[in-house]
Parts: sequence; C-alpha cells; structure tokens
Amino acid sequence: MSETTAAFDVIVLGGGPAGAHAAITAAAAGLRVALFDENPAAGGQVYRAPIDGIAPARGADRTAGDALRRELAASTVTAFFRHPVWAVTGNYRVDATGPNGPLYCTARALIVASGTTERVVPFEGWTTPGVIGLAAATILLKSQHMLPGRSTLVAGCGPLLAAVAAKTIEGGGKVEAIVDLASTGDWARSMPAMLGRLDLLRQGFKWWRTIRRAGTPRYARHTIVRVEPVGGRLRATLAPCDAAGRVIDGEHTTVLTDCVAVGHGLTPSTEITRLMRAEHRYSRSAGGWIAVADADGRTSRPLLYVAGDGAGIAGAAAAATHGILAGLACARDLGAKDGVCDERIARARVAHRNAARFGHAMANLMALRPGHVDSIAPNTIVCRCEDVTRAEIDAACDAGAHDVNQLKAWTRCGMGPCQGRTCGDIAGELLMRRTGAHSREAVGCFSARTPLRPVTVEALTGDFSYGDIPIPKAAPL
Amino acid sequence: MSELNETVHDTLHKPFDVAVVGGGVMGCTTALFLARAGMRVALIERDALCRAASGVNAGTLTLHMTRAALVPYAIHAWKMWMEADEWLGEGVLATAAPGLSLAFTENERQLLRARAAARREYGAEIDLLAPNAALEVEPGLNPAMLEAAYCATDGFASAYLTGRAYRSALCAAGVQIFEIAPVTRIEQLHGRYRVHGPHTASAPLRIDAARIVMAGGVWLEPLLAMLDIHIPVKTLVNQLIVTERMPPVMRTVLSIANGLLSMKQFANGSVVIGGGWQGVGDRERGPVETIPHNLTGNLRLAQHVIPALARARVARIWLGLESETADAMPMIGALPGLDNAYVIGCVHSGYTSGPYMGKLLSQAILGNPPELPLFDPARLIAAPATQDAPALSHREHTQ
Amino acid sequence: MPAPKSEEDAMRIHDPHRAAAIDLFFDGKRYAAHAGESIAAALFAAGVRSLRVSPRLNQPRGMFCLMGSCQECLVMVDGRRVLACQTPVVTGMHVETVPETGIDV
Repeated sequence: MSETTAAFDVIVLGGGPAGAHAAITAAAAGLRVALFDENPAAGGQVYRAPIDGIAPARGADRTAGDALRRELAASTVTAFFRHPVWAVTGNYRVDATGPNGPLYCTARALIVASGTTERVVPFEGWTTPGVIGLAAATILLKSQHMLPGRSTLVAGCGPLLAAVAAKTIEGGGKVEAIVDLASTGDWARSMPAMLGRLDLLRQGFKWWRTIRRAGTPRYARHTIVRVEPVGGRLRATLAPCDAAGRVIDGEHTTVLTDCVAVGHGLTPSTEITRLMRAEHRYSRSAGGWIAVADADGRTSRPLLYVAGDGAGIAGAAAAATHGILAGLACARDLGAKDGVCDERIARARVAHRNAARFGHAMANLMALRPGHVDSIAPNTIVCRCEDVTRAEIDAACDAGAHDVNQLKAWTRCGMGPCQGRTCGDIAGELLMRRTGAHSREAVGCFSARTPLRPVTVEALTGDFSYGDIPIPKAAPL
Repeated sequence: MSELNETVHDTLHKPFDVAVVGGGVMGCTTALFLARAGMRVALIERDALCRAASGVNAGTLTLHMTRAALVPYAIHAWKMWMEADEWLGEGVLATAAPGLSLAFTENERQLLRARAAARREYGAEIDLLAPNAALEVEPGLNPAMLEAAYCATDGFASAYLTGRAYRSALCAAGVQIFEIAPVTRIEQLHGRYRVHGPHTASAPLRIDAARIVMAGGVWLEPLLAMLDIHIPVKTLVNQLIVTERMPPVMRTVLSIANGLLSMKQFANGSVVIGGGWQGVGDRERGPVETIPHNLTGNLRLAQHVIPALARARVARIWLGLESETADAMPMIGALPGLDNAYVIGCVHSGYTSGPYMGKLLSQAILGNPPELPLFDPARLIAAPATQDAPALSHREHTQ
Repeated sequence: MPAPKSEEDAMRIHDPHRAAAIDLFFDGKRYAAHAGESIAAALFAAGVRSLRVSPRLNQPRGMFCLMGSCQECLVMVDGRRVLACQTPVVTGMHVETVPETGIDV
C-alpha cells in the first residue's frame, strides 16, 4: 500500500530540449538524476515524438528530436514519462501520478524546464468551437498529421503564423488569409538577429514562398475582432490595428472559413517556480512573468533552477544550451566534479548567448502589445473556465479589486480548472491598465496552487483500505 | 507633546469610539453592530477584509464539528447565516442541509455516540441512525458504515463571499475601513488607545480610539503582546480541497466521528473537502505549502465515505490558518488589567458561530449583558515564568 | 493526391502509412478515427467540434490549446473525466460528454 518513492540528487521537471539536456548534463557529471514529463517521450512541444501509427513528419525538428531521445536513453537519467507532476514541496519532493499509481521522489536540487503555453488575447467569439490556438494547429499538423480545417484562417503574431500557414498548404488545405499584428517593418527589424541562424531564415523563406504560391492574402497590422458561427462554418471579422495592437478606424474585412487558428505569442509556464515561492518579475519581451534567475538559471531559492523557454522565451536552440548551463550549474553547486570546470561553463554561456539571439528576436515579435487588451469588448469572455467577461473584471476593479488575487476572489476569474493559465496574462494586463498601475508587478500574478493540473481523486488515493489511513488524534469534544 | 494640543494635522482622523483590529468575520461583525448602535468605528485590517480564515474556510455550518459547549452559539449563528440577507444585506449563499457524522469502526461508533450525547446536552438535536436509514438520507454513502449521527439543521456557505458581503454593510453603517494596514504598535494614552501602522507607508496609520477590540485571528498572540498581555495562540494550518463540478453525489454535510473529515457539495456541483489535515505554514509567512501525505489521507477518507468521489477531479488545494488557545476554547470578552479593551477569537469552527460571537461582544461593549456567556481571556494568560506552548493540538500529526 | 474518400479523410494529410481506421463513439454516434490520434483531434476532423458547454453561460466549447493546459476538452471515457487532447483513441472507445451539473449561482 505504501507509495513508491526514490531519492535522487536532482529532479528535472520537463522533458523538452531544456529539461532533457539539463538531465543529460547533470547525469554526465556523476549525479543521480530523475526526469518527469507527462508526455510519452522527450521532446516537449517543439520536438514532439512521433505517435505509433501516424507517419512522422520529416525534417529538422524530427531529426533533432530523435537525437535528443537517443541521447537521453543512452544516459543514466531515470525518466518518468507519462507521469504528470501534481505537487512540488519541501526541499524537494515531487509527487506524480502514473500508470502504476501515485509516487513521489525526493532530491536535493530541482531544475524546472516547463516550457510555455500559448497566449490568446480574447475577441468576441473566441470561445466558439473551431477556434483553436496556433500551437494547437501546429500539433494537429505535425503530431496528428491533420489539417486544422478544409480552410483555415491563420491569425496572431510571431513565427508560428508562417509555419502553420505553410504546413497547412503543404498538407493540402486552404489558408483563407494570414492576419498579422505585425507590420513588415516589425519583421524587417528582426532581420539582423535572424541572420545568425541562416538555416531558420531559409526555412522561413521557404514557408513564405509556399504561402505566396498559394495566393494567400496577408493582412499586416490587422487583428480579429469577431468570430461567429455561420451554418457550420465560421465568419471572422478583421480590423486594422496600430503598432500597440489597438483596433483603429478602418475597413473591416470578413472572411468565411472552417477553422480559425489564432495565437498571440507564447508565455512562460511558471506555476512550479511560483509554487516554490521563488522571486518573479514581469518581462514583456521574455513573454510574461519569469523567475528571477542568474545567467546559469539559478533562481532566488537555493538549488532551484530554471531553463528553457519557461525561464523566458529564447527559442528551441537556446533551450538546449540553457539546459546544459543549468545542468552544469546544478552539478557544480552539488559538488559534482566530473567535467564541470570553469572553462566548460564559460563556453556553455557563450553558446547560450549566441543561440538566444534568434529566439529573442522572435520573442519580441510575440510579446504582448501594450494596447492589445484595450480592444477587448465588455461582453467578451476573458476567463473561459468560469465565463467571466471583461465587464465583470472592470466592475470588480472599480469596486476595489486592485490585484489579481483579489479579482479572483471576487469574480472567480482564474479559479477554474486551468487555474488562470489561459486568462492570467490578460487579467493582469487589464487590471494594470484600469488601475493606472505602473507595472504588472503592482497587480501581481495568480497564486500558484496544488495540484499543478487537475487530477482525479483515485489517481491520488491509489489502492488503500480504511484501516491504513494514518489518522491524527480525534478532534476535542 | 500634549494630546490636548494635537490638531487634526497630527492625527489623520478624529478619535474613534472604538478601533477594531482584525477584519475577519469576528471583527467585521463586532464593528458592524457597534456602528449600527451609533459608535464611530475604525476597522483596521492587515490585508483585505475576510481574506484570511474567514474567506478561505470550508464554509461548514455543522453542529457535529462544533465543540459541544459552543453548540448554543452555533445554533444562533446558523440562523444569522441563513438570514444574512436581512441583517447583513447580502448573503454568503448559506444553504440549509442535514448533517451526518459517520462511524466505520467500533471505536468510531463509541466516539460518535459520545459526541452526539455531549452535543445533545447543549441543545443540539442529533439522532443516531442505522446504516439503511442513513442511506435513505444520503444514498451515495459507503454502505460499509456502522452508524450515523443525524442533525437536521446543518448547512454550508461560500466563505469566499464573506468579505464582499460585509464590506457593503460596513460602509453603509459608516465604519471607516483601513485595509493593507498591519498594526505595528499600540500606545495606551490617557483615556484612549493609539494604533500605529508601519512607518514606511506614505500616509502612516495612526488611529486614536476610546476602546479597542482585538480580533486578529492567528495574529492575536503578537497583537495582544502589544498591550503587554501574553496569551499563547497556536496556528493551525488547515488544508482544503475543492473538486471540479460533479453531478450530484451528496446532498448532506458529511463528517466522520473523529472529526477529521468535512464534505459538502455546492449548488454549482463542486465538492469541498476539509477536516483539519495540516499543511505547512505559520503566522509570519502565512500558508506555505501542502503536505502531500496529509492530502492523500484526507482524500482517502472522503473517497471512503462517498465512493463516487473517486472519479472527481481535484481542482485546487489551499491552506487556511486557524487560531487555537491552550484549552481549545474561545477567548471573548474584556481584557484583564485594561479599560475598554476587548478580545474576540480562537473559536473552533469559528466561521460557523462567527456572526453570533461578534454580536455578543458588541452587546457587552455597549454595556448590555450578552445573551449567552462570553469566554474570559484571563484564564489563558500565561504566567511570565512558565510560558509553555499549548499542548499539541489534536490536529498535529504525530509523525 | 488521391481524391478524399470522406469528410474525415479530407482533414487528414495524405499518408500511405497511416494505420487503418477504427471506430470511435461519441455520445453513442460512431465516427472513424485512427489508432494513436487523440480523441479531440479525431472528433475535430470528423466535424464534431463542440465537446461540452461552459458552466455559467452554457455556451458550446471544444478543444482549444491541444496541449493539456486550457482544460476545455474535458470528456468522459468509461466514466472517467479525461482531457480529449491528451487521450489516444483505442478501437471501440466510448466517449461521452461530461454531465456538467448544477445551476451556477
């Protein structure tokens, strides 16, 4: 009946490029390392492992992902795949559920590489079935080998726009239009940084060639203001916007489509580091709230490290180098000797700086634009889980809720199953702008809570009998 | 500097009739009734109204979990919660429901009977039910139960609505509310109390009042020390669990004879599970984190009682701080050795009887004999030489 | 590229190595899926995009983030609540809408 448990030197949370490399590096330095991920294999979002029965897409991502999975398998890392982590406590204990019941592991150090989630700034009708994220469309295309729709409208900002559009066209689907918050000038300004990765630049040009050949119109400096269901399809209304993402006067365009794939950037997942009460700060260019960390990933809490996009958007290549850095830092801090010399760390820092250049440029294109939330109409839902509208948030703010946790208590915004992952950035931005606060820090971020994701009671209780439950002394009479 | 020469510039506000330190349900209710009786009231709260215990508890309104001696108070308070729309103006979705306490072993059956008998002595109407009778009241129960204690007049409320409900009433009654204002120092001047907030604030808090009510929950120990009164107050760190919305799986308020489970299902389908299992935290840092082992224990009890819960998804776990005195009984009344100084707090299942306790204290402060006896704090004052920590609370895990 | 055999096939990128079609049931209706696909993706491809209703406003909701974060694609499989986007289809699988309940006050 007792839970399975094991002790390690370091536990890595997240099996994407950052986490996998951190684990591999720490293990190579002689440490006992465990890695947890809810997915069936390493790779994270960017290098998703192929699914049995579905022919894998070929390409650079597949090659890199396979190499990563091979390297991890060849290491001494104990990998717990299909093990969603629901609690992280103490110094440090990781509780997870798995195919064989609940289990927990302990370690002296923790490396958090939990990646990102996608940000979608709400618009009227964004909750209509058929409206999905850009990252979701990417998963459909790459992992499920499916088109998002017979015809798809691709909207938002950042590099995923071209990727999703091109892959949809290559897969035999139609892209009605690309709706980009950015202007061509925004992209041009990213050029210098993009030159550091000619391979990715080439990839981008190939995508645009595919898009141009298909005759797909592109609406630069435009945003979706409304989606309505129309006879089994979706009608999207586009409007021009300014550089700050605010809707401006101008001609509205309607587009009829089957699927709307929309995404307004990636935002780091910081639930675990917030749960661990590490210090955080808000950085628009990094994608949102991030743990305060040094160059090697050390947070404000001893022996707690962050790596990868979850520490601030810097792209897949930088995730790998960051993971290596965190693995080295952790190994050094724990006193492991093998191969953790100053020279190696210095080289790893240089590699990381170089790798991050491209990713940072992309991050800037994906950053939340300061006026974007202004255009959210009062009746538009902001918190999907609890059906809380912008009007209700504004009213609570006017009634005195000046920090997001007070807002949560009064409106239930952020109290639902997703725990504010989807609405948190938007709610904080709305509150900051309405209270006239100088910074996002002034309105705070949602308190992180256990469980990290919803988990069934039986997954936590496992097999037990009544007599086994260790009951504290009875209450006083 | 003589107080007689102080102008309004020196103090930010004219002296109040009473300063209530602590904006939970105890402090808010006391402040409300005093204001309605004509007093000029300042309510000083370290965070936001009802954000601590009063806003995060499980909302259980049950006589089964109330200490026997507090049953008469809880019965009055139950009525107040159910009729909150009338006296408070806004409710906390208080819902009446029968309450069942359960026994699954012989030991628990003995405990169940003893607890039911003790509560009956104090006026609770509690009957014992055999399993098939209990299953008629609550069909989803684990049929392996041996016996149940049944109380028709239990219920529950949505604690997180408490702050909002009191805020409107307090404002309407003219209470001056000071939030994000932790008290750092209290001076005893001639005929009045001067309550200070932190120096660092741009407009430092300094409030004079003829009377003072200490209603600071787990922070009562350091607060009372500011008046040179030393009463050890233990901080319990209670874990609470809420599930996602479920189809109806229970319709009563459920507990177990040992007092270590509380469960109810709200109108929106979510189930809140509590029972005093401990997490990590203290009054300096506040709630810190869960103890997974205790969480599992709590959930196992819940699943054992209502097997259908196995398939529920746990949405959120949080912690609340509850105050407890050395004898686990409240301290409510005039503070010894001081004039016009009062304390209210440390009531087990304090939310259940909160509004009534506040009402009673306000009666005493207004010079009327309270309807029911208060709880003399003098009994708890630790002799300076022997300041032992209170005996291990029943909720402490021994491992 | 061969002409699509059905609505569902049209949504799937042509792939000669894709596993054979299997049956998937949603609220009693039969749909075609392929082993390894997530319930959410398979239903989406079949044109079933509404999976549940929102708690207060009772609006139709379906998959959104596809990465297990937004919790919108909650469905019931064998009486268990699972995220459709994180659950692979197996042959003959019976999926039901979650019985959301209670009036939200």
